[in-house]
This record gives sequence, structure tokens and C-alpha cells, in this order.
Amino acid sequence: MSRQMSIVIQVSDLTKAYGSRRGIVEVTFDVADGETFGFLGPNGAGKTTTIRTLLGLLRPTAGQATIFGLDVWREAPDLHRRMAYLGSDPGYLPELTSAAQLDYLAHLRGLPRGAWRGLADRLELDPSIPTRKLSRGNRQKIGVVAAFMGHEPLMVMDEPTTGLDPLMQREFLGLVAEARAEGRTIFLSSHNLQEVERACERVAIIREGRLVDISTVAELLGEHWRSVNLVLAEPAPEGTFVLPNVRVVAVTGREVHVMVQGDVNPLLARIAALHVHDIAITTPDVEDLFLRHYHDEAPRDGSTSVGSSPTEAAR
Amino acid sequence: MMVALRLELRRARGLILWLSVITVAYGATIAIFWPIMRDNAALLGDYMKLFPQGFLAAFGMEGSLADPGVFFNTYLGSWLWPILAALAAVMLATRPVAVDLEHGFLELPLSTSLSRTHYLLASVASQALALGILALVTVLGFWAAATAVGAPYDLDRMLIVAVLAWAFACAIAGVTSLVAVVTLSRAIAAGVVVAALLAMYLVNVVAQMQPDLADLARLSALYYFRPTPIIDEGAVPVGELGLYALVAGVGWLASLLAFRRRDLAA
Repeated sequence: MSRQMSIVIQVSDLTKAYGSRRGIVEVTFDVADGETFGFLGPNGAGKTTTIRTLLGLLRPTAGQATIFGLDVWREAPDLHRRMAYLGSDPGYLPELTSAAQLDYLAHLRGLPRGAWRGLADRLELDPSIPTRKLSRGNRQKIGVVAAFMGHEPLMVMDEPTTGLDPLMQREFLGLVAEARAEGRTIFLSSHNLQEVERACERVAIIREGRLVDISTVAELLGEHWRSVNLVLAEPAPEGTFVLPNVRVVAVTGREVHVMVQGDVNPLLARIAALHVHDIAITTPDVEDLFLRHYHDEAPRDGSTSVGSSPTEAAR
Repeated sequence: MMVALRLELRRARGLILWLSVITVAYGATIAIFWPIMRDNAALLGDYMKLFPQGFLAAFGMEGSLADPGVFFNTYLGSWLWPILAALAAVMLATRPVAVDLEHGFLELPLSTSLSRTHYLLASVASQALALGILALVTVLGFWAAATAVGAPYDLDRMLIVAVLAWAFACAIAGVTSLVAVVTLSRAIAAGVVVAALLAMYLVNVVAQMQPDLADLARLSALYYFRPTPIIDEGAVPVGELGLYALVAGVGWLASLLAFRRRDLAA
């Protein structure tokens, strides 16, 4: 993604404290027009606080956040005209049907009555059932339908697939892909790491209220250590795996476990000289990255490199 | 804003319907006993003398139960209406902010172009409308039953009583709305408002029993809710209406100002 594109979300040193309790601390990132931006973190890390601040529900303690150049606190109603929001567990009114609920939200967003029907059919949501009779997954479908029924240029989603079954999660990812194709900007908070990996171009990782990493998914995966497990016909000669970007984790007779970072060709050249019975190379996913950050002792400011420890990467 | 107002009215419908059923059923049942009170006024008067003054004051008995104003105040004005008004006001005024925030509904309308001001204004309008309907139904239900049995209740005067009852309920709603915005908790807001009303009720009763404490009654909201002179004399309680309107207006305005600046986190 070219960083020359116009910025839709700009967050600078954003801090939110709840009295003496930590909320988020000096969070800084931006999201470009048309970008799909993932926001990863465990429960309590500050994802929802960040999103609530972006929605203008919380007043920043310090720092600044703008969306489409509008201040998220002072100009919230104006910027909401260009934004669709999907929460993780919205409190739909139990006495209303999905249809009444969706029509209410459609009217507030200036959409015609029934604007949601096509999406409801696609997600197999029965609009005639009162919300109180719906399962968690079906209630979440209302949110997905509501978020995608308009054509706002920005979508902000907080753990959008919570409660959805795998088929509906796949349908959701399809909707995200269509929104991306339309050029809409998407801010997606999640702790479903595969979802973020599949949907997003860039990912920020938040931990204990601070951003610990921002990078493209491709960059994160490329910098990470790969795990290589070998079963050899006979024990390898001593020094076989001594290479600058390779660390030996364990050698047990004919079984070898090494970690490699970056270029794998020197290691493959050494392996080619051996009689190999079996080989398994594990490519890390975002979960590995996330867990590594989460197990660090102290949060760090700004972007950091990943895969600094083969022991951690070997998990 | 009209969309939000329609939804708020729709949500208030059930509460107002059931409270109306209760108040009409009770008021109409009581009203048809008025001829019995009239025919046995002397006996009832002697009987009432047996009770301590405080007991009679607590139930708003300011004279003979055969008197239309006293009869209404005893059976509706001094106890049922304050309870219903407080219940309806607390339920309606705490829902849009405290309850909807806690249940996760509030973020839905506020993530659209609906401003906080318009959202709460819609709620205030629905509170005023719903409480107005409840006051009107309560008074007219009683009036209809009383008129059917020949009780001399004048419709115009009863409508003034309905307006006063409505203003009284709005004053409770305005204060409740403010407490709900400040605390973001229905339980705390309801507790504060109900405790204050109970305290004012007791102050009003004590002030009527103790002449040297009579001025304390002016601190009670219930002191200004006096239907008897309206029904019996046709007095228009301009000052009382103005006071209730002022309290309601200040409460709602302050809650609007506070809501605009408030962090909204459950």
C-alpha cells in the first residue's frame, strides 16, 4: 500500500485514562484511504477503548485523532455520516425484530427502509424474529448486515465475527473483500488472528494500552523465524548447521530442529548434502507474532522488529 | 431525531399502557364509591376523628371525604400518583442513557450522524409525551367513573389537575435524567431519586403535624402538588406549575449539557 495515499484515520499520541486506570497510552497510527487495517490485541489491551475514542464516545485525555480530517470528539456526528460501525456485541433491543432494528439504523443513516434485505438473505438472517429469541451468532449477523448495508467510505469494526460460525465468518471475509474492492477503508479490530491475516494489509498490535508493532502482514511474516524439523538417515556431521541466520534448537540423534530467519537458501544447500528422511518447515502466522509480543516482559513504543528470539519463535 | 423519537415512544408504549391500566382500574373503582362517602359523610367524619392527625396528613386528608377535592387527593393525588409518576419517570429517564449504555444499545444510534443532543432531546420529548399521556389517562379515567356515578367533578378543573400532575412527573423525570447522565447507572439514579422523594414525603407529613415546622414543607415537591383547591375552587396553580416546569427544564437542560461532555463507557 502506498503511503502517499490520503489518510483517512490519523491518530497521534492518543491517550485515554479512566481516572487512575490505564486505557490507552500514546497510541499513534494512521490508516490510508482504501486500506484494510487490522488492530490486534487480547481482551483488555485497549482495542475497544481505541475504537470508542475514534467513535467519539470517549473523550481523549491527550493526543489527537481525526477521521477524514474531522476531530473525532468535537465533530463526531459529521464524520459518522461517512462511517459504518459494527460492534462486537451490540445491545439490540430485545422487543424489536431484526427488521425493525435494521430499519431504525437505516433511517438514522439516511438509507431507505429495507436497504438490508439482500444482505439478510445472503447471511440467512430471518428478519421477522424478535432479537431476544436470536442466538449470539444471529444477533451478530444483524450487526454485519447493518455495517454493510450502506456505502459509507469507512467501516470500523470491533471483533466483528464474534459468535459467527465458520461459514458465516467466511461470508464476512467475502463482504470485506468486496468492500475493499469498492475502495472502502476498513478498520478491523480482532483477536481472531487468521481473520486479520486474511483480511488486512497492515496490522497494529496493541498490548497493555500501547502499540507494540505496526507493519504489513507480509513484512511481519517475512521477518519471522521459520522452524525447520529434519529427520536424517544418520546424524549430521558437527557444524553442518552453523550459519549466520540459523540457530540450532535441538539435535537428538537423527532428529534436528533449527530456526532460520530470512534467506533459507544457505540452509537448504547444507540440507541437500544430507540424506533426509523427512522435513517440515513451519511458516509462522500472525498468531506467532502476536504471542511473541504478548509474552514480552515490557511493552515498547513504536514499531519493532519481530522474531528476535528463536526460543520464542520455536513455540 | 424524529426516527429516534418514534423509537423512544414505541419503547415507552408498554410501560405507559400497563401503568394506565393500573391507574384507571384503581381510580375508576375508587370513584364509584364517592356516593357512599357523600351519603355517610357525618359518620365518616366521626370515624376519622379517631385517627391521629399525622395519619390523616400522610394520606392527604384535608377535610371531609365527601368533598370532591379531598376525596381525589386522598385516594389518588397524595399517594398513587406520586408513586406512579416516580416509577414512570425513573424508568423512562434512566433508560436512554444508563440502561442503553449498559446493554450496548447506545453506541448504535450514536455511531450514526445522530448527535448526542438530538438523541437525548428525542428521549426528553418522549418522556414528556409519555408522562403527559399517563397523567391525562389517570385523571380522565377517574373523572369518567366519578361523573358516571354523579360525583360533581368539573372537566375543565380536572384537566388543570392533569396538567399539574404532568408537571410534577416531568420535574421528577428532569432530575432523574440528570442523575442518570452523571452516574450512568439506573440503580443509583433510581435510588437517589426515590430516597429524595421519600424524604420529601416525610418532611411534608411532619410539617403538617408540627405547626412550628410548617415552613419545612416548602422543601418538599409534594407540598406543591395540591389538587384539592383546583377541584373545589377552580384555582389555577400558576406558581406550582412554574416551579415544576423550572425544575424539569433545568434538570433536562443540565442533563443535555452533561451528556454532550460525558464519556460513554459502560
